[in-house]
Amino acid sequence: MSITIQELTPGFVGEVSGIDITQPLTKAQAAEIEAGMDRYAVLIYHDQRFTDDQQKAFSLNFGALEDTASATIVTGRRLDADMADVSNLGVDHKPLARDDRRRLFNLGNQLWHSDSSFKAVPAKFSLLSGRIVVDAGGNTEFADMRAAYDALDDRTKAEVEDLVCEHSLIYSRGLLGFTDITDEERATFKPVRQRLVRVHPATGRKSLYLSSHIGTIIGWPMPEARAFIRDLTEHAVQPRFTYSHKWRQFDLVMWDNRSTMHRVRRFDETKVRDMRRTTVAGDRSTVEQLAA
Amino acid sequence: MHIAALKPDFVGEVSAVDISVPLSPDQVSAIEAGMDRYAVLVFPDQPLTDQEQCAYSRNFGELEATLIGQMSKPAERRLGPVEIGDISNLDPAGKLRARDDTRRMYALGNRLWHSDASFRATGAGYSLLSARVVPGSGGNTEFADMRAAYDALDPPTKASIEDLITEHSIAFSRGELGFADYGAGNEDKVRPVRHRLVRTHPVTGRKSLYLSAHIGTILGWPMPEARAFIRDLTEHATQPQFVHAHRWQVNDLVMWDNRTTMHRARRFRDLHEVRDLRRTSIKGIAMTAEQVPALAAE
Repeated sequence: MSITIQELTPGFVGEVSGIDITQPLTKAQAAEIEAGMDRYAVLIYHDQRFTDDQQKAFSLNFGALEDTASATIVTGRRLDADMADVSNLGVDHKPLARDDRRRLFNLGNQLWHSDSSFKAVPAKFSLLSGRIVVDAGGNTEFADMRAAYDALDDRTKAEVEDLVCEHSLIYSRGLLGFTDITDEERATFKPVRQRLVRVHPATGRKSLYLSSHIGTIIGWPMPEARAFIRDLTEHAVQPRFTYSHKWRQFDLVMWDNRSTMHRVRRFDETKVRDMRRTTVAGDRSTVEQLAA
Repeated sequence: MHIAALKPDFVGEVSAVDISVPLSPDQVSAIEAGMDRYAVLVFPDQPLTDQEQCAYSRNFGELEATLIGQMSKPAERRLGPVEIGDISNLDPAGKLRARDDTRRMYALGNRLWHSDASFRATGAGYSLLSARVVPGSGGNTEFADMRAAYDALDPPTKASIEDLITEHSIAFSRGELGFADYGAGNEDKVRPVRHRLVRTHPVTGRKSLYLSAHIGTILGWPMPEARAFIRDLTEHATQPQFVHAHRWQVNDLVMWDNRTTMHRARRFRDLHEVRDLRRTSIKGIAMTAEQVPALAAE
C-alpha cells in the first residue's frame, strides 16, 4: 500500500492516507513521511487508534523524544514522562476544576506558540493524537512561518535577520496573568535565546521563529520588543497563512515546530478532551546560549 | 457641511466646515449626529492652535487631561495646558525621545487596541486628535467598530457576555508590554475600575463591545481564563471588516467616540522622524458599572 498525501492548504497542510502508522514503518515509509513534513510542515492522519506505546514508536522514526516534564508545572502526572498530557483531565481522569492551577497554566496553549521554543534545543516535530475529542470548539490552528517570512517586505526582512529573542514559559503565562510560579519552576523556565529568523536544516527555507514564549529581543527595550513581536505575530497569523483543524476521534496531527506556530481554540471544558502529544527533540540550538 | 462615509456607517469624512472658529448650535448638532452614525469623523485640512482645539472640543463636553499628563511633573511636560495630551515622540526640549526613554516606553502601549481612559470609572466620551507633524511613512491610527463587532457575534456568545463586568487599569495594558514604571505617588491611578463588557450607546441605543487593552480580568473569572477570552473577543472585533486605517496628513483632525470604538497607533521610525499629534478628550459622563466602594468614594 502506498502513501498518498492530499494537499489541504497549498504547500502547508497535507492529509495522509494509505498507511497504518500504529504499526512499525519501513525505512522508506518513514523517509516518505519526513519528506512530506519538509514539503508541507503539517500532516494529518485519520483513524489511527494509537496506544501511548504505539504513538511513541511512530514518533521515534523521526528522532529522540523530548522529556516533557521540564515543559510544564510540577504536578501529579496522568501519563508517563514521554507523553505530554494535553487533556483537560486530572489524575482522576475527570475534567479539572475551573480554578485548577494546571488548567490555568494550560490556557497558555490558546496563545500562538511553537512547542519547546523555551528550551535551548527546541523541538523538531510534535505529534498530537486525539483520543477523546469535543464536538464544538477545541480546534487546533496552524500558521505557516515560512510563508509569513516570505511575505515580509525587504526592509523588515533586513531588520529581523539577525535579531535574537528570549523565550520562557514565564513570559507566555505572564501574558495571561498566570504568575503563580514556584522558585523551582522559575529556575527550570529560565529564558533561553533563539534567532528570530531560522533556516530549515533540510529545505534551507527561512521562517519566522515566533512564539508567545518570547519576552524580549536582545538589545531592545522590552516594551518596544514586545510591541514589535506582536506586530510580526499579527502579520504571521493572517488567515492566508493559517489552517484550522477540526478534530475527529483518532486523528493524529504532526507538525514541524521549526516552521509553524499553533494554538488551541476555546471549548466547553466541562466536556472531556483527551489529547496526547509526543515531541521529537531538535538537534541544535538556533543561537549560542549565555554561559550558565 | 457634508459627511462622506468611508465605510458603511463607520468613519465619515467631513468637508465644508471650519472648526477653528466658533460653531453654531446647528453645526454642533450636525457633527454630534455624524458621530452617532459614524463613530469616527475625519476633518482634513483644519490647521488648529492648541487653544482652538480646546475651544472646538468643548462643544462636546468637559475636557479631561490625559493620565500621563496628570502623572507628569510640570518640567516633564512639553505642552502648556494639561488638557492638551502630548501624543508625540518629542521630549520637553522638543527633541526626539531616546530609545530607552521611560515616556517612550509608556507611549508604546498606544500600539495595543484600546478605548481611551477605559481605566477611569466613567471612561471617556470623544477623543480628538490633531496632526501637527506627521512622519513620511507608518504611524497610521486604526479604528475598530465595536458596534459592528458586537452585532456580528453569534447569539450564544451575545447571551454569555451580556452581563459580564471587566476590570480595567493602565497597569494591565502596560504590563502586557513588560512596563511597570509609573513614578512614585501614582499608585492610586493604576487601581482597577469596573465596566460592563457590553454597553449601550445613550443616544442611539446600539449595543457595542467595550473592549480595551486595559482589561485585566472579568469579575468572577480566573484571570488567565478571562484574558484568553478577552483576547479572542478582541481578535474577533479587530478583523479587517470592522477596521479603518487612517493615514495622517498634516492638519487632519480625527475625532472618535470611545464608547463605540477601539483604536491603536501603528509603528513608525520614531527614533528618526517626528510625529507630533495633540489630543483632547471629553470626560465620560456615566459609569457603565457599579464600582467597588473605595473607588465610588473618590
